[in-house]
Order: sequence, then C-alpha cells, then structure tokens
Amino acid sequence: MSQKKTTKEMMKKTTKEILAQKVEKEGRIPLYNPEALQKIREEMEQWKSTVVREEDRNNWYVTPSTILGSQIPRGMLYTPLDNADLDYLRDLGFSGKEPYTRAIHANLYRGRRFTIRQLAGFGGPEDTNKRIRFLLDHGATGVSIIFDLPTIQEYDSDDPMSKGQVGMCGVAIDCVDDMATLFEEVPLDKVTVSLVSHYPTNTAILFPMYLEMASRRGIDWSKLTGSVQNDLILECVVRSAPEYIPPRDCFKIQCDNMEFTRKNVPGWNLVTFNGYNLRENGTSAITEMAVATANAIESLDEMVRRGHDVDWVAERIAFFWSPSNDFFEEAARIRAMRRLWYQIMKHRFDAKNPRALWMRCHVQTSGISLFREEPYNNIVRAAYQGLASVLGGAQSMHIDSYDEAYSVPTEEAALVSLRTQQIIQAETAVTEVVDPLGGSFYVEALTDEIEKRILDEVTEIEEMGGMVSAVEKGWLHKKVAKYAIEEQKSIEEGKINIVGHNYLRASDLDLPEINVFRYPEGVEERQKENLRKLRQKRDSRRVEGCLSQLREACQRGENIVPYCLEAAKADATEGEMFQVFKEAFGLWKPPVYW
Amino acid sequence: METTCILVESWGWLTMTGAEKKIKVLLAKLGLEVHWRGVITVAGMLRDAGMEVIYVGNAFPEQIVKAAIQEDVDVVGISTLGGNHLTQGGELLDIAARSGIKDSTLFLIGGVFPPYDEPRLREIGFDGIFAPGATRGEIVGFIKEAMATRATT
Repeated sequence: MSQKKTTKEMMKKTTKEILAQKVEKEGRIPLYNPEALQKIREEMEQWKSTVVREEDRNNWYVTPSTILGSQIPRGMLYTPLDNADLDYLRDLGFSGKEPYTRAIHANLYRGRRFTIRQLAGFGGPEDTNKRIRFLLDHGATGVSIIFDLPTIQEYDSDDPMSKGQVGMCGVAIDCVDDMATLFEEVPLDKVTVSLVSHYPTNTAILFPMYLEMASRRGIDWSKLTGSVQNDLILECVVRSAPEYIPPRDCFKIQCDNMEFTRKNVPGWNLVTFNGYNLRENGTSAITEMAVATANAIESLDEMVRRGHDVDWVAERIAFFWSPSNDFFEEAARIRAMRRLWYQIMKHRFDAKNPRALWMRCHVQTSGISLFREEPYNNIVRAAYQGLASVLGGAQSMHIDSYDEAYSVPTEEAALVSLRTQQIIQAETAVTEVVDPLGGSFYVEALTDEIEKRILDEVTEIEEMGGMVSAVEKGWLHKKVAKYAIEEQKSIEEGKINIVGHNYLRASDLDLPEINVFRYPEGVEERQKENLRKLRQKRDSRRVEGCLSQLREACQRGENIVPYCLEAAKADATEGEMFQVFKEAFGLWKPPVYW
Repeated sequence: METTCILVESWGWLTMTGAEKKIKVLLAKLGLEVHWRGVITVAGMLRDAGMEVIYVGNAFPEQIVKAAIQEDVDVVGISTLGGNHLTQGGELLDIAARSGIKDSTLFLIGGVFPPYDEPRLREIGFDGIFAPGATRGEIVGFIKEAMATRATT
C-alpha cells in the first residue's frame, strides 16, 4: 500500500462524506408521481415555446444582485419539476419533528412568539439601564446588551488607550459594580438577557462578572436565562483591534466558556455561533452559515474530546444570523440551516436529545443594508428583513433602527424598531401558521440549493484542517475582504440597486432632518472616578493573588473561567484580566488583505 | 483581480511600492474602533486609483502622526464608526499641528458620525469628511484634486 493512500485513509472524513454515507437514500417516497411529472414536463415545454416570450425563455435564470446575496440563479417560474424527488416526510416532515425543516416546535409562534430582543448600549451603565427599562416597559421581551469600544477591546475606562472612547458605541463596563448598575431593577430571573460579549476572551471576563452580580443580588444561577456570543470568528476575523491573542488559544477559551457555562448555568446558551457580524463585514448568505457551522462542528468535537456528552452540550448552543434584502432567500436559508444542522447533529455526532438537534437562532436585520439617504426608507427595509426571518422561523429578533447610518439609535428610532416587530406579531397574522412557505416549489428548491452550498463550503473549510486553521491561514480574512470590495464595486456600478442611493436618487427632496442620538456627557470621568474608588476600596492583594492564579491556569491549559470568576469576585477589572491573557498567550498578528 | 496580501505588523506596517511620485496615503482605524470593512474597501479603491497605500490597522493619534512623518505621506485617512471621531480625531489634528505636518498633509476621515458633528470635524481641521455612501469618485477625486491644488500653490 502506498504511503499516500495510508495518509488519506487516516484523514478524518468530512462532514459531507459522513452525511453521504449515513443519510439513507433507499426507500424514498417521492411526493410527485413520475407520470404527473412527465406530463408537467411536456406541458411546460409546450408552454415555454408558445406562451413564454423568447426573451424570457433565453434569460430563464437570473441571478439577483442584492446586498450580501448568495448569487444563486433563479428561474422565472417554479413547478414540481424543481422538487421532482421531494420526499415529504424525509425532507420536510412536520413542525417540531425531524428533520425540523418546518420548525423546531410543533406550534412554533402559537406556543411562544419570537422574543423581541432589542439591542441597547451607550454611555455609562446607568444610561443603558434607563434604555433597558424603557424597552421593557414598552413590551420588549428580552434584553440585549452591547458594550462600548474599550469594553469590547478589553481595556478599562481609565486605560490611556480608552481615552475619548468610553461609552461610545455601547455601554462601558469595567467591573462587577458596573454590571450591578447596568441591571438595577431588571428582573434577571424573569427576563432573558443576551450579553453581546462578542469574543471568547471578552466572554470569559464579562460573563463571570454577570454571574457574580447575580450572586450579590441573591439570584440563584439556575434561574438565569440568556446567552453570550463567545465566537472566535468575531475575535480573530471580524474585529479590528490593536492586540489579539492567537486563534488557537482563542478557540480554547471559547470551549472553556462553553464547558463552564454548561456545568454551572443550566439555562444559559453557552455560545451563539455568530454569522451576523461576519456577513455584515462582507460575506455571502452562504459563507455566513458555512463558517458558523464549521466553527460549531469543531467546538463540539472539542467538547466530545474533553469527555462531555454531545447531547448535553449541544442543547444549549444557538446561532445568530443577518437577514438581508433577498426576501425568499432569507426565509429559505433559515429552513435550510435547520435541516442541515439536524443532519449534522444526528449523523455526525449521533445526538439523540431533540433539543440538541435544533438549530435555534436569533436574527438581527442587516445594518450594512441601511443607507443614509432618506433614512425612513430603512424602516421598510428592516421590516421586510424581519418578516422574512419570521417566515423562516427565527426564535428571537432585533430590528435595526432607521438612523443607524448616522449614530446609535435615538429612543424614538428604537421604539419604531420595537413596534415593527410588534406589528408583525400582532397585526399581520403571519404567526398563526407554522412555516407558511413550506411546499412552495420555489422556496423548497431554494432551500435545497442553499443547504447544498453551505455544506460545500463547510467541506472546503474542513479540507483546510478546520475552522481554526482556516483562520490562521488567512483564508477567511481574504475571502471577506474580497467580497466587501467586490460588493462595493457592484453598488458603484449600479448592479445592486439601492433606492434613493444609487437608484432613483432624489436631488430635489427637502426632507426634514432626523433627530440623531447624542451621547450622554461625562461618562469617561464618571467611569474613571468609579474605578479610582474601586481600586482604593478593594483588597488589592486578593486581586493580585486571583490574577496570578488566572495566569497559571492559562499556562497550565486548565479551564480558565473559574479563575476569571474568582478574579471578578475580588473586583478585578476587565483590563486586568485581559492583560493576563496577553501575557500568558502572547499576541497574534492577523493577516490583512485588500 | 488579484488580491494583494500584506501582513501588518502589530504596530508596524509594510508598504506597497510602485512607480515614482505616486500619491502616498496612510490609512488607520482610529483608536479602539472595531469595524474594518470600510477602511479595507477604501484601501482597495485608492490602490486601484494608482496610489501607494499603507494600512497600519488600529492606531492612536500619536502613532498615526509618527507613522505619517516616518513614511512621509501626502494623505492621512482615518476610519471610525464608533463615536470617537471628535475626541480622538481632535487629538490627532492637535498632534499633527504640533508636529508641523498639519498643513503639508491632507487629513481625511470616513465612517459613521452624526451630521451635526460634520462642521465640528471641519473646524478641528479635517480636510475631507466622508460619510457612509461616499463613492469611489468622491474619495479619489477629492484626493487628486487637493493634491493638484497643492502642487500648483
């Protein structure tokens, strides 16, 4: 036997190969009988040559040019011929039943409407606390917190690098006390909280602070529900930063967070595989889902390697998608991903727990699709994106505000976003019927094609050695940069139409100026003063002890989160913990392409 | 088109070299700002327009000015979507003025900022301000025109 063959045999099978082997092909029961299909085919040929205009016949397939689209060509009319081998029970089935194409719950929104989870975060914790309570008072059913630039990048508000940026673009959080102010009077045992902690390193610091805050309020961790993001793609690819730790260490921390959270906070979603920010940064409807899937597969492999039951871990993972402008594609994509994820969990991981087979997702309408000209048009764009997500069966949603090409949303704009979701829920009746697009010749064909393309890209990543390797090699950085630059050109060349921007642009409109958000003043001084007091009152020897234990845990390769928790309890700050990570793991230089 | 690969050192940079007398542009993400799509897209536009582009990644005002002096650039372009355009943008222009490069260098800013801040950005000393939706023609045209004006005055 040749050396080459031996190596190939030793190589791990790709997910595609496993599915090809395990998904039963025998005994399929096609929905449409061959006789009917043959008749339709003949009639269609006849119709095409007699009724359809030659021009349309010659241009039967058109590839839509839309923001962040998939480039999948579309026929002019779809018929059963496009779903010729559809086996209803195997491919679609019933809601709440395998393969979950139609929905993860039998009654979907009749049982529980999608969670209205509007993002909030600006200024100091006391400022964002007011916005959270405003949203909850007006019917939001979940909370989602976005952090300011220094918190996202993991520096304290009093770090010289944070100067002039505290409370910008999100809320400033340095320590457990800030978490306490942020959630004051928010019933954490009743409201689900999403901490948009983005990165694994960030999550390892902020989530323990959240937990310690809950403990100080006397709330048992078993009562807490919500999610963190905790995604290496965000930390190492999507983010621009002065300092990064290496992807391999970042992946390890991602898994540490998953492990710690699963063991200690049973109601918490331990990772949100985040397609959203990657897609917004510049990638297609397909790559967004393929990358998240590949990351999810690699993370679960690692969890299994650490000795955990995949059913136990996977029931608490979630996904996060960016619905953009191609309406049916967005609905079909969520369905496709649900079926693909089910197959992966069932056949690659042998999962049995139904909850572990579900692709549960949060969506946020696309920020990059919002334009500055005639900003109220953005309300319409976001509403269509939201509606498509509901038709796809998303579990929770944020609708972007019309003023986001100007600044952080005003209260007025945030209210319109909230109301958009409530209008979908209460006025349109779309939530009464589960998977209303199921069975559409078009949507089913699109669902099949998207599923196939996602799996193809997952395979490409696996053949590179997996997601972490693809990141280390710069493959993803390059792909994203290329896509962003090409999309920009398509907008410039008018291939992608944006109403009011490059298409039907009005030069003579005299629109009133919209209100634009103004950041609260004095946040940096307040945060710095709070930190000064904190550093004075806390037991600094205890802090140092906790930090040095954290450093040793990083070096030993242990799960670091319990040590982060101890540091949080001792009132260590975010910047202090990140400093430990940088020292222990060293810095990494991400590749840059343009 | 072939994408050019440049490995950016943590606080350093590599330069795209080319024909002589190219307009030389330094691009940076301002401070801790996180989004890189816009600046990379602009880097591509300027390269396509025949300019020499140096992208330093995230950098703080002092580092940006230091790099601009070392590289002897014609244009400094900074990108931010995160709300630090006045605070750190102001600091950048102050340091540039103190270092004596403010008048000899074109300072541009691009990103997301409220319209009411635009006059203030001009007061601070930015020569060009580009909000979302700014086109290739506007950005490249602005730089070329400004450089031509400088050459004749």
